[in-house]
Amino acid sequence: MSQRGSVLPSLVDRHILTSKTRNDVGVGAFAFLFSEIVQYSQTRVSNVSELERKLADVGFDVGVRMLELLVHREKAGKRENRILGILSFLHTNVWKNLFGKTADSLEKGTSADDEYMISDHDLLVNRYISVPRDMGHLNCGAFAAGIVEGVLKSAGFPARVTAHSVASEGLSRPKTTILIKFAPEVIERDEKLGS
Amino acid sequence: MLLSLFVVNKSGGLIYHRNFSSLAKLDTNDTLRLGSMWHSLHAISSQLSPVPGCKGIELLEAETFDLHNFQTPTGIKFFAVAECKSHGVDRFLKRVYNLYADYVLKNPFYELDMPIRCELFDLQLTSEVTLTMN
Amino acid sequence: MSSKGKVASSVAGERINSELFTLTYGALVRHLLLDLESPEEVNKQLDRMGQNIGVRLVDDFLAKTNTTRCRNFKEAVKTIADTGFKMFLGIDAKVTQIGDKECKMVLNDNPLIDFVELPEKLEPLSYCNLLCGVIRGALEQVSMKVEVLISKDPLKGDERFELHMKLLEYINEEYPFADD
Repeated sequence: MSQRGSVLPSLVDRHILTSKTRNDVGVGAFAFLFSEIVQYSQTRVSNVSELERKLADVGFDVGVRMLELLVHREKAGKRENRILGILSFLHTNVWKNLFGKTADSLEKGTSADDEYMISDHDLLVNRYISVPRDMGHLNCGAFAAGIVEGVLKSAGFPARVTAHSVASEGLSRPKTTILIKFAPEVIERDEKLGS
Repeated sequence: MLLSLFVVNKSGGLIYHRNFSSLAKLDTNDTLRLGSMWHSLHAISSQLSPVPGCKGIELLEAETFDLHNFQTPTGIKFFAVAECKSHGVDRFLKRVYNLYADYVLKNPFYELDMPIRCELFDLQLTSEVTLTMN
Repeated sequence: MSSKGKVASSVAGERINSELFTLTYGALVRHLLLDLESPEEVNKQLDRMGQNIGVRLVDDFLAKTNTTRCRNFKEAVKTIADTGFKMFLGIDAKVTQIGDKECKMVLNDNPLIDFVELPEKLEPLSYCNLLCGVIRGALEQVSMKVEVLISKDPLKGDERFELHMKLLEYINEEYPFADD
């Protein structure tokens, strides 16, 4: 509780358990805020990879806090301890809460056993963004990758997470694929827990 | 039937132009010049009004084409050249304003008042044009 | 010609969960504190970023609500309170005092400060300073130069969130129009 006589209820008393009573914000408010974060970040970095790193760092913060909220609200404090469990939690619960829909797909990487991919054809953070040609492979979905990394890290599944544009047939714009590569200890632990 | 679209910023600089028909044949210099002349002409038209608060030319009808102009309260002009008596052009211009608000202004790589080079805006505009023409 | 325009009765546009917005704003403020180190610098940066948002956001608002022009300060303030806050932040704002050149506006709720408590060492931080910049930037695009300050802030112990706006000048000589 604040010492300065704030009339706000202390954080634990506020409505973290009931997000739906909240008035929702316009998609434009988020889009303009995110656009501004990208513009600001550009002034602090010198190349595309650093820009992606910076966006991922901001996303990471969001992910850490989102996990706390969701674990309290949707899982009554129960924590996920298996890889597939946490991935489906991301693909379904986290995506729904953040972006209003589940992600379009969750797949295992074809080349490596420790890799998984979550894809979205219309990732909210990329919806209005056209990347100029001179910025090459930049994907501002790095922010969403950061969110995923934050959720995973604080859930005890450290991983390297990156965002990529993948052209898909029949669609005028590429989908965003979030590539998750788990740390070796995570894979070992999951193997020990067996199937 | 739509023939071409121009977007002029509040200082009279052309920031976007696209032809929708092979009939329209203007090179880049011409479009830049015409865009900024239309800006001035529009300003003159509102000054000619004896009543204050006139918003300038909204429709110009010529023998071979109509020019529809839509000016936003922030001073940007969206204007289209269309065949005489084309329907839905004003609605089209308002839709383009909407697309501009989404795919140009929410794009962090777009610098305000500069020429519009946004792939998604081009794509969305193409589908809007198709909708309007059908 | 109508200068007031018809404001869309329902709130325009797709809605998203306010938590994404709230947490993203929080993450931005945290990163600004890390990057710029002093709360005073962060206040300035938030204000600048807000202004940058405002000059763009105003067209989004106008395009989606079919508002024609707000020809004076009072009308602009009413439009912001009645429609602007609802459209972007999903909240109601109430104009509590208004004159030709000054007004006070109270927000019934503020998604920016959900989950936020200011630690004592960040006392000088004006956490919601972005809002001031947004309003200033937006009105500048429709020819009004204004000053916006946070006059009451629940993060500093006040009961409500209140903005104080002052009109400095009409930028364009065509303002204000004579009444028709």
